[in-house]
Amino acid sequence: MFRHAAPARLLLHVANLAVIAAILLPVVAVMIGSIQSEKALQADTRRVLPLEFTLDNFVVILTQGEQKGRIFEQATYLPDNIKKFYRAFANSLIVASSVTLLTLLFGSLSAYTVARLRFRWTLFLMQANIVSRFVPAIVLMIPLYIVIRSFGQLNSLSGVVIAETGFLLPYAILILAPYFDAIPSELEEAARIDGCTRFSAFFHIILPLATPAMAACGVIMFIVSWHELLIPLILNARPDFMTLPVVIASLVGDVFVFFNLMMAICLLALAPTVILVVLLQKYIVEGLAAGAVKG
Amino acid sequence: MRRELSAGQFALAMNVPTLLFLGAVLAFPVVYAGYLSLHKVGLAQLRRGEFPFSGWENYERVLEDPLFWIAVKNTLVFTAITVTSEIVLAVAIALLINQAGVWTSRITRFLILLPYAIPPICNGLIWSFLYNFQFGFLNRILFSTGLVQEPVNWAGNPDTALYAVTVPYIWRTLPFAIILVHAALQGIPRELYEQAAIDGANAWHRFRQITLPMLQQIIAIILILRTAFAFAVFEEILAITQGGPGDSTWVSAWYSYKISFSPPNNFGMGSASAFILALMIAAIALVYMRLVYRRVTL
Repeated sequence: MFRHAAPARLLLHVANLAVIAAILLPVVAVMIGSIQSEKALQADTRRVLPLEFTLDNFVVILTQGEQKGRIFEQATYLPDNIKKFYRAFANSLIVASSVTLLTLLFGSLSAYTVARLRFRWTLFLMQANIVSRFVPAIVLMIPLYIVIRSFGQLNSLSGVVIAETGFLLPYAILILAPYFDAIPSELEEAARIDGCTRFSAFFHIILPLATPAMAACGVIMFIVSWHELLIPLILNARPDFMTLPVVIASLVGDVFVFFNLMMAICLLALAPTVILVVLLQKYIVEGLAAGAVKG
Repeated sequence: MRRELSAGQFALAMNVPTLLFLGAVLAFPVVYAGYLSLHKVGLAQLRRGEFPFSGWENYERVLEDPLFWIAVKNTLVFTAITVTSEIVLAVAIALLINQAGVWTSRITRFLILLPYAIPPICNGLIWSFLYNFQFGFLNRILFSTGLVQEPVNWAGNPDTALYAVTVPYIWRTLPFAIILVHAALQGIPRELYEQAAIDGANAWHRFRQITLPMLQQIIAIILILRTAFAFAVFEEILAITQGGPGDSTWVSAWYSYKISFSPPNNFGMGSASAFILALMIAAIALVYMRLVYRRVTL
């Protein structure tokens, strides 16, 4: 918009470099931490780059402790949860995909009616959704733990899926509603004159037009669910039902697990959502803005 | 011919799943948390399945617990620091990535969402590696660049630990704020700036008289949303300090979690403290409703 003078340009470059460095610092740390041995990390505590690189941390996680590699040769102990890596990864994938599917399905039904049909109670529902976003998870988790425990349903993936879907559904509706609101209502009015039912007008006319909205909302739901710790941490204590964040949290108190192994499992856990963010950045940016400000 | 649903019936039918989920997973637990907070609920009571009524006892015990007040104080400090830093940084960085003519700004813009992709628990562990006293990555960098001679104990020192855990939280949640400000910047009409330039206003004046007033609403939204979420911070505390050293990083959500889910598992007191946290956040939520959805036109 405005041409910058040379000193101003230099200042902007410096500011950008500072921001880029701040963004990349933890990313570089997790990468460098994951490709060295505990010994190398401890040998020279003032070195940034390791003397030697190894993939043994990843090998031991991905073979679930079968192949220990050189750096774990003498290790007599490996946490059991590390040996359940694939199980945890699959659990995370099942939970995040189910939550994404359910929130999109139920969320679009609600968001459409809230955007199109203005009743007193749909407005109230919208306000309830806004308030729900502010309810801290810890408040819900104590009663949910006690109720689910009394039904004997602790340690099941379905319990986590139900809890997370309920927790995220209001957010999904808030993201989707402005998109539906922006689709001209003449479209389904014309379809209804041609004899479409209300539902088939929604399903055949509006939903296909809302694909970008579904993409934006879906990817955000998947990311939030993939990251969720508190709900599965409290509901699922048994290793077979842990999701990745729970497995990672279980390593925090383990004095025998050193940073090299932790950084490797973190890198494996953050890779899927980083890939999603890189590929679908445009949709996420739109969705985040739509969910916070009325359309 | 099949009878067509009326608009009201159709709306209700479309919302059945949502209402069920909101009722089961949000409304009922909140009410039940209130019930639990007025009863004696420990492991023994859970096993028997009977919760004796105890009146306001849980609330009294929570309010008399010095640790609860330390947690509240830490939560307030944590929230004040993270929210003010995020707003200042979000406005500055959003303006920075808005400079389409500067090639480094385009790189920043591409990378800006990266922290949003990192799971909070991983973020916490990565920063706990960065901060580590003996083997930490941050000290390694400072040694190599000659900035320090002795290792710095970032998160292990009770005087600095609370400040140390604000940085990872800000790092992870800043992209959300930047995106909102950046989106709002696109809505400011160019003519305003052009007119101001003709009138001879310099960059600072244009920022003060045009940009900042136009960003007022989005800044208020970010302020409220981030305050409410920072009140409930959990993962970074779990991964980096677990409340320590001593009680210097106990925050409200951590207090409710520890009281409930570590021995002696006092779920009644946990519910009471969580309820107090929810009430504090509810007050913030009300302001948000008033501000943003005053006229619920959607």
